[in-house]
Amino acid sequence: MSSTNKKWFSLNLNSKHKQGSSSCGCGKTSGGCNSHKEPNTELSEEEFFDAAVDASIGEERHKDGFDQVFDVKMSRRSAFKKLTASLLIGAGAVNTSCSFLAGDESKEKAQIDWEEQFKGNYKLMNNDEKKATVDRLVRSYQLRTGKTISMSSTNAEDDVLFGYAFNISKCQGYMDCVNACVEENNQDRNSQMQYIRIHEMEDGKGFNFNEADDNYYHEVPAEGHFYMGTQCFHCDNPPCVDVCPVQATWREDDGLVVIDYDWCVGCRYCMAACPYDGRRFNWSKPEVPESEINKNQHYLGNRLRKKGVMEKCTFCVQRSRAGKNPACVEACPTGARIFGNLLDPNSTIRWVLENKKVFRLKEDLGTEPKFWYFMD
Amino acid sequence: MNKCIIYKISIILCVVLCFSSCKHHDEEYHSVTDKIKAESKDYHGTSISSEAYIDHINTIEVTENDITFLIPERKGEIKSYSCTECHSKPLTQMQNEDLKKAHWDIKLSHADKMTMNCVTCHNGNDMDFLQSLTGDQIDFNASHLLCSQCHQKQFNDWTGGAHGKRIESWAPPRASMTCVNCHNPHTPGFESKWPERYNTQKINERK
Repeated sequence: MSSTNKKWFSLNLNSKHKQGSSSCGCGKTSGGCNSHKEPNTELSEEEFFDAAVDASIGEERHKDGFDQVFDVKMSRRSAFKKLTASLLIGAGAVNTSCSFLAGDESKEKAQIDWEEQFKGNYKLMNNDEKKATVDRLVRSYQLRTGKTISMSSTNAEDDVLFGYAFNISKCQGYMDCVNACVEENNQDRNSQMQYIRIHEMEDGKGFNFNEADDNYYHEVPAEGHFYMGTQCFHCDNPPCVDVCPVQATWREDDGLVVIDYDWCVGCRYCMAACPYDGRRFNWSKPEVPESEINKNQHYLGNRLRKKGVMEKCTFCVQRSRAGKNPACVEACPTGARIFGNLLDPNSTIRWVLENKKVFRLKEDLGTEPKFWYFMD
Repeated sequence: MNKCIIYKISIILCVVLCFSSCKHHDEEYHSVTDKIKAESKDYHGTSISSEAYIDHINTIEVTENDITFLIPERKGEIKSYSCTECHSKPLTQMQNEDLKKAHWDIKLSHADKMTMNCVTCHNGNDMDFLQSLTGDQIDFNASHLLCSQCHQKQFNDWTGGAHGKRIESWAPPRASMTCVNCHNPHTPGFESKWPERYNTQKINERK
């Protein structure tokens, strides 16, 4: 073993000391990268420059981007060296933000960002970890805006399974529910994202979504039309959950299908998998005027989202887990929306299921939505 | 001997298949309705209660169709109850006298004149109570009994919870709006209006 074959990594910039053939900078063990000259040969400045360019990009001149990234022969050791180097750079950045020159607040901000960056999936967190991340998010918001929000991490309650019923005979298409939903859930005002769609359908044509209008603007109810709303149905067998490659969405024990916005990678598989158009994607950074922000938030619910993540109706988890009706139910002036605990035999939702003729959309898909429609 | 073993194995296989085929993933129910049925058998109630949300309203308990729930108290909400504070004399006398006019804003649009008029629900000689079709007294707090004389279907749906609205909370104890909280008894129909919202962005996206 030569003396140059060190066990640690040292940057060998512009040094004439050549490394042994087994640890060439390009990661090749053969002489293919042209960086291997006879030892003890003095190089002119020009020769050295050419050799250095060859050594660094060599093969990449005739490789496309994919091959450049993936078709690299690299030993385990050099891979670790590179990883270490990039980690050192990252640590340097953190060190800068944590240096004594920076204020306490920016240090705290950086600390929070760091911990948030490397936190786990909410689904796998225990109660302390959930509380910790919620506290961090509240503190972070306070540091950034000076405003205090309250965020909950309330878990699903035993003996609760949320269900929803929608009375098609009653809905008049007023869209009070849509308004209430947008305000409650801090949805992006620029893209006018809406979880709820109210479909105006022609009498006598049944549920014809192809011809239905979900963005009407005229006096309602219109002659010869009926109205029905769709949103996330919180399927008991949700296809959106099955397709998520990172398990950023799941069904909670009380039946709510939720998303960890910080774990979502924005691939939109779930959007494609949902047969009901229940999911929405943030193409741009969601913006809500400060005065309109609903400060009563839940980690899995209406907390402020970021660009590039999925979101959807959560049956207002921040309200429903506290015992309140979702905002749409509360806002509906016609009583077309009924919400409750499916496991409580005395609940109103159970009465509807047992006494009215209920049906669900696309029941044959086996998605088992917990959202029933009925008529008077 | 060999046949016997084969039979036994096939029977066991059949049993296993029968029990496993109806399972949804790793759960033991075929459908959500089965799940609801099974899991609600030993329902013990939850810690979530509506009490904090209905605290601020005055409620009274009613039991209709064997279902007991709360409705908002009504008399306290009527501005000039009790009615006899003004209606000290029978209505016919008051109409003849040169008294200050009242109730000019009431527009009656409830069924047609052939079917209903003021005295279908009000008793001119006893204005503090409503009256049933047969002339029995009905308290203002139990006005749903008056409505239910004709609107039986809506009434039954309301007692179960399919018609009308819960107040703020889905949790027990149940508090529901009563008929007159949503419907003006004199003009009970809902007016048509413009939608609360129009999504201009959606128009652009679909161009």
